[in-house]
Amino acid sequence: MIFVTVGMHTKAFDRLLKKMDEIAGTLGEEVVMQIGHTTFRPQNTKWFDFTDEAGIKEWCRKARVVVTQPAMSILDSQEQGTPVIVVPRLKKYNEVIDDHQLDFAKHLEREGKVIAVYDVDKLEEVLRKIDFKSVKLVRDKRLVNALNKHIELIDRG
Amino acid sequence: MEAFEGHQTFFITYDSARTRGLEHKYLLRNIGTNPLVMAQAFLSMLRILIKEKPKLIVSTGSEIAIPAFYIAKLFRIKTIFIESWTRVDRPTGTGKIVYFVSDVFLVQWEQMLSRYGKKARYEGAIL
Repeated sequence: MIFVTVGMHTKAFDRLLKKMDEIAGTLGEEVVMQIGHTTFRPQNTKWFDFTDEAGIKEWCRKARVVVTQPAMSILDSQEQGTPVIVVPRLKKYNEVIDDHQLDFAKHLEREGKVIAVYDVDKLEEVLRKIDFKSVKLVRDKRLVNALNKHIELIDRG
Repeated sequence: MEAFEGHQTFFITYDSARTRGLEHKYLLRNIGTNPLVMAQAFLSMLRILIKEKPKLIVSTGSEIAIPAFYIAKLFRIKTIFIESWTRVDRPTGTGKIVYFVSDVFLVQWEQMLSRYGKKARYEGAIL
């Protein structure tokens, strides 16, 4: 099963949802989508607008692969050990306020943490062929350790 | 939440399907760039911070951090801002506004350091 999630973002991400709905018929694999704030209604996939944290994590756990924007949804998938394909939201389509997701996707891709797809027309091929052994997301403990240190200092001071 | 073990915590965040499941929480309306909602958020934030009297506020954004951090400055509550992991070298509007009043200001990419002043530090990222 492929799980597509567009998070809590207040803008629609129809470019991704429409393409996934279109290819869902030919992939030969179930596609489930969390569609968020949009008026688009998928025809070929199971879908829902929002669910709670436990619900999202459950879908991420059951999925073979999660397709999402390069943002915090990546964490839910990583936590469940499910590989991630990211598709950046772009400003030119009014999907986001600026193109920071594009930079972010490129950096994550360079570090071998995710598969990035910039052109939704490539999604079908990537979903069929990709070898997810090439990507690995691991938790970086440094930030938590740094926060612990700052909190301890503030607590004492 | 690992970073806050051993401390009492509460959340002030936006209302969504996801945040409704949090335990100790205050849910506000999404501010975005609406000045009227921002003004309402300042009042709600003032009430919450007077009631809860936290010793520290930690935020990863978004604009909800603006009322929180400026009121915190007034009440001498310590603050830690963590710039979004999704931002490699483009500061957020919120980051630029709360930079001046944050006690600790962390970024999650080294490239971001040159976009802020001396206070900013890179001490790792979430993943």
